[in-house]
Amino acid sequence: MSQDLVNAITEMREDEALRITKERLKAGENPLDVLVDCRNAMEIVGDRFAEGQAFIPELILAGEMLGKIMQETKPYLEETGTADEKLGTIVFGTVEGDIHDIAKDIVAFMLDINGFEVIDLGVDVSPQAFVDAVTESDAKIVGLSGFLTLAYDPMKATVEALKDAGLDDVKVMIGGGQIDEHVRDYTGADAWGRDAVAAISIAKSWA
Amino acid sequence: MFTYPDNWDSLSPREKFALRLDAWQSTEGMDFESGEAKANYEERLARLRNALELKGTDRPIANPGVGEYILRRAGLDGVDLLYNHERVFEPVIEFNKEFQPDLAISGFTYPGEVFDILGFQTYIWAGQKLPASGSIQCVEGEYMMADEYDEFIMDPSGFWLKKYIPRIFTALEPVKMLAHLPRISEIVDVGAAAVPFGMPPVREAMQALLDAGEAAMKWVSVAGKTGAALSAAGFPSMSTAFCKAPFDFLGDTLRGTRAIMLDLYRRPDKVIAACEAYVPILVKGITDAANERGATTCMFPLHKGADSFMSQEQFDKFYWPTLKAVMLGLWEEGISSYMFVEGAYNNRLETIAEMPEGSTCWWFDQTDMQKVHDILGDKFTIAGNVPASLMSTGSVEDLRAYCEDLCDLFQDHPGYLLQLGCGVEQTTDEHVRTFLDVVKQYA
Repeated sequence: MSQDLVNAITEMREDEALRITKERLKAGENPLDVLVDCRNAMEIVGDRFAEGQAFIPELILAGEMLGKIMQETKPYLEETGTADEKLGTIVFGTVEGDIHDIAKDIVAFMLDINGFEVIDLGVDVSPQAFVDAVTESDAKIVGLSGFLTLAYDPMKATVEALKDAGLDDVKVMIGGGQIDEHVRDYTGADAWGRDAVAAISIAKSWA
Repeated sequence: MFTYPDNWDSLSPREKFALRLDAWQSTEGMDFESGEAKANYEERLARLRNALELKGTDRPIANPGVGEYILRRAGLDGVDLLYNHERVFEPVIEFNKEFQPDLAISGFTYPGEVFDILGFQTYIWAGQKLPASGSIQCVEGEYMMADEYDEFIMDPSGFWLKKYIPRIFTALEPVKMLAHLPRISEIVDVGAAAVPFGMPPVREAMQALLDAGEAAMKWVSVAGKTGAALSAAGFPSMSTAFCKAPFDFLGDTLRGTRAIMLDLYRRPDKVIAACEAYVPILVKGITDAANERGATTCMFPLHKGADSFMSQEQFDKFYWPTLKAVMLGLWEEGISSYMFVEGAYNNRLETIAEMPEGSTCWWFDQTDMQKVHDILGDKFTIAGNVPASLMSTGSVEDLRAYCEDLCDLFQDHPGYLLQLGCGVEQTTDEHVRTFLDVVKQYA
C-alpha cells in the first residue's frame, strides 16, 4: 500500500494523486494494488462525510479522482474477474416527474463505495421501470430519491406498484430534502433518510 | 416607482428603509372593494411593517405558501400555471376571500409562451417537457466553461450578453454577433455597430425578443390585475425584488453544481474573483429594480451554502463574504434582504448574525428554530419553519402542535412570521385553516 496515494486522494490533491498513479503503473506495480489504495482512500472520505468533516465538494472531487485513476489502470488490468463480494443489490432512482440528480448521484456513489451493487435508473423513473428493474435484478432493496414535494405521490405510487407486482420482500427507502417520517408513513415506504449517510446505514441494516 | 428625496444621501439605512416602507404603505390612489377591505388592508400591512422594522406585533403573522394548492384545489394544473393565466385569476381571489389570510396568497404563474419563443434552456415546465401534474424544474448545465472565468471576471455584463444569453436561449444565439457595446464612441463606430442588426439571424433574434415581449405583457397584465384585485379585497403582498448569492449565480446556472464544487479545488481564486466581480452589478441591478417596482425588500433563495453542501471554512471563504457585501450594499440603499434559507443553517447562525440589526429577514426551512431563537435573538425578523411534509401529509393535530410550539418560542419576538419551510402543492382546506388560525390565539 502506498500511503502517498491514499493521502493525496483524501487531502484532495488531484494532480498529485494522478501523478503517483501513473508512476506506480509505469513502474510495473500491480494495478489492483493501486485500486485497493483508492478504495481505502474513498472509505476515509466517506467516513469524513459521515462525520461532517467532508462535504459535497470533497465527495465530487473524490469521485472525479476515482474515475480518472480507474481510467489510468484500465489498460493494465487483465480481463479476469476482480469483482468484490457485494453486500447486496439496490435499485435506485429519482421518481417520476422529478429530474433532480445531484443528491441521487451522491447517494448512489456512497452506496457503491460502501459495497453495494447499485443499479441507477436515473431520473424521472416510472413506477413500472422500478418494478421491471427489481424483477430483472432480483434486488431486495429499492431507493427512491425526490427533491420536490411533488415527489410524494410518485413515491407512494412506486411503493404500491412494487406491492401489486408481488414484490413484498423488497424493502423501500425514500430520501430527499423534504422527506421525513410523515412522508414515509404517507408513501408506505419502509424507511426514510435525509442524506447519503442515512441511506448507507439503512441499506446495511437490511443487507 | 420610488423617488429619492433630496436628503437621501444624509439618511441612515434604517431611515431609507422607513421611507421605502412609507411609499409601500400608502393607499393613495388605490381603490378598495369596501371600507372593511381598506381597513383590513391597512391593519395587515401595518402588522407586516412592524414585523419588518422589529417594532413588535400584536400577534405572529401566518403566511402559508400554498399558492400552488389554490390552483390544484380549483382543478387547474401546471399547464394552466404556465399558459392559461386568466384561469388562475378567479380561484386566487376567491380563495383569499374565503380564507382571509394575513398576507395575499397568490399562485405564482410563469410565462410559458415567453419561454417557448426564446427557447429557454435552464428550466423545463408543464406543457413542455413536464406533465401537467408538474410545474417547473431547473436543468443544470455548464453555461460558462472553466476556461472562461477570466473573461467573466473582466466584464460580467459583456459575458452575460454575448456568451450566457445566447447559450441559454436558443432563439437568441445570434446575439453573440453584436458589437462589443462599450467601444461605441466615435462616429466611425456607429455604422459598424449597426451592421449586425441588418443580418438575417440577428433580425430573427430581435423579432423573437419582440414576440416574447408581447407575450410577457399579456402575462404581466394578468399578474398585475391579480395583485390589484387582492389589494382591493384587503390583502397586502410582501413587496420584493429578487436576487441570489453571487456564489449561487455562479454555481446554479453558469457552472452547475458539479463544476462549481470542483472549481473550489481546481481554481479557487477564480471563483472568489468571479463572485467579487458580480457584487456591484447585483447591488446596482437590484436597487434599480426595487426603485422601479417600489419594492422594499429583496428575496434571496440560498442554495449552495447550506450546512450539508460545504464546510464552514468554505462558506466563510467562498460564499459568505460576497453575499454579505450584496446585502450590505442593498441595506445602504434602504432595501432589506429577505433570505430564504433552503436546507439548514445550523452552523451558520453565528456568521449571519454579523449583519446589522433590522437589515434582514431570515426565513428558515430546516434550521433548528430553538438555535435560531437563541443565537439571533431579536436582531432580525424571523420566518419559518413548518415542514412542507407536515402540511402535505401530516395530521391537522400534529400541524397545530408544531405551529403552536413555534409561536410559543417566538411569542416575545418583535417580528415573527409563521411560514412553511417551502411551498406545497398538496394539502387540505382544514390544514390551511388550522395554519391561519393558530396565530390568532396569540393576539
